[in-house]
Amino acid sequence: MKITVESKSDTCAFDCGDKETILYAGLRQGLNLPYECATGTCGTCRARVMSGEVEVRWKEAPGGNKLKSEKGDILMCQTRARSDCVLRVPSQVAASDQPRPARRRGIIRDIRKLTSDVAHFDLHLSEPMDFEAGQFVVVETGDLSGGRAYSMVNFDNTATQVALILKRKPGGGFSDWLFARENGEAHVEVFGPLGRAVFRPEESKNIVCIAGGSGIAGMMSILERAARVDYFSHYKGTVFFGVRTLADAFYLEALARYVAVSHGNLEVTIALSHEAATTPTHPDHPTLKLASGMVLEVAARAMEARYDNVIAYVAGPPIMVDAAIRSLIMGGLPASDIRYDKFS
Amino acid sequence: MVWKRICGADEVAENTVKRFDINGIPILLVNYGAGFRAIPPICPHMEEPLEESGVVVRCVLTCTKHLWAWDLKTLEMRGETEKPLKTYDVKQENGLVLANIEEELTYEFEDADDDDDDFFK
Repeated sequence: MKITVESKSDTCAFDCGDKETILYAGLRQGLNLPYECATGTCGTCRARVMSGEVEVRWKEAPGGNKLKSEKGDILMCQTRARSDCVLRVPSQVAASDQPRPARRRGIIRDIRKLTSDVAHFDLHLSEPMDFEAGQFVVVETGDLSGGRAYSMVNFDNTATQVALILKRKPGGGFSDWLFARENGEAHVEVFGPLGRAVFRPEESKNIVCIAGGSGIAGMMSILERAARVDYFSHYKGTVFFGVRTLADAFYLEALARYVAVSHGNLEVTIALSHEAATTPTHPDHPTLKLASGMVLEVAARAMEARYDNVIAYVAGPPIMVDAAIRSLIMGGLPASDIRYDKFS
Repeated sequence: MVWKRICGADEVAENTVKRFDINGIPILLVNYGAGFRAIPPICPHMEEPLEESGVVVRCVLTCTKHLWAWDLKTLEMRGETEKPLKTYDVKQENGLVLANIEEELTYEFEDADDDDDDFFK
């Protein structure tokens, strides 16, 4: 089926299969259609159907709560075409300069718990994938409807294997499904890479990462990318990793390794929100600092008047991300130097 | 011109915003230090309430939800912002801030009577 998109900048057209959403069809053909979460929660990929038949998969998607469905408004990430369609998209649409996402099959292997509610798993891909540090993939299972977004923890060119982390949520269908498969393997569908909160070495700026819990995933990919080009020989890196207690922190060996090769220019602070930091540094990893308080408060204190030539990455629960963005802007960082990833 | 009194010029501190209701029309008054702007109280991107999501720093209003931003002196769009702010004319007289409010300014997706030609405005 043919999808025609009228945007503020241009009119463009692309093919759409009957088993894919309109958003994914446009993205895999290299268009930069507007989106953030790609999984129905944020509402960024809204469009108006001007003609044609569509089928909305997840009608109660929280990102759709402001849409005017009587006018034909839809979320492109939740909608499949049932005929040729003409859509209007209220933003600029052009060719994307990021790696084109594609659908691949994947096998989840090596699920292992990192803390009581966070697990690491490897995803083996049927076809290699190029991605940028900070991007994510959407994973779907045959057993459960809808996709879940996971940020890549590693960084590799033409990767056939990516590392992801999963936070177990009470009543979270996919996390229960996956936690039940510890030491086993599972077959899934993968769409990606997605996401614009990316780091490229040519940024040539000091970087600040503020992560809440599993939001550290994309930061690990950014640190890996930076370490490979010895980025911290020229620029400073400051990472704030927010967790409830010391026992909830993970990837500490890897973080300490990045600090060790950073020429003294990478500083990692673990912020503990639900217990006091009793020592200034981690008892087992003395190159990692400890602080008490909410991660964004710890970050705001440490970064005061240090926002010059900085690009900031923020990832975590939406409330934390919103508050961190506010604090960065109040601190004087322009919006164009902030990249974020909200999990819902 | 229908100049309406919004408030005293000292009622909205520098680099803050405050919402007012002027004869049923919601107005967000922004004090950006070098002056005031009176705007509809929502972000033209995704209707976020700017009263909560708006931050004013160095004459720039940023909606912290998705980082759309505008220079309040020139009304220039910053970064990836794709829509201009709509504004009511503002003047100050005798310590009061007045705005020219003839009719409510709105963005698409929230105008009950919009037709499809309005979609891109």
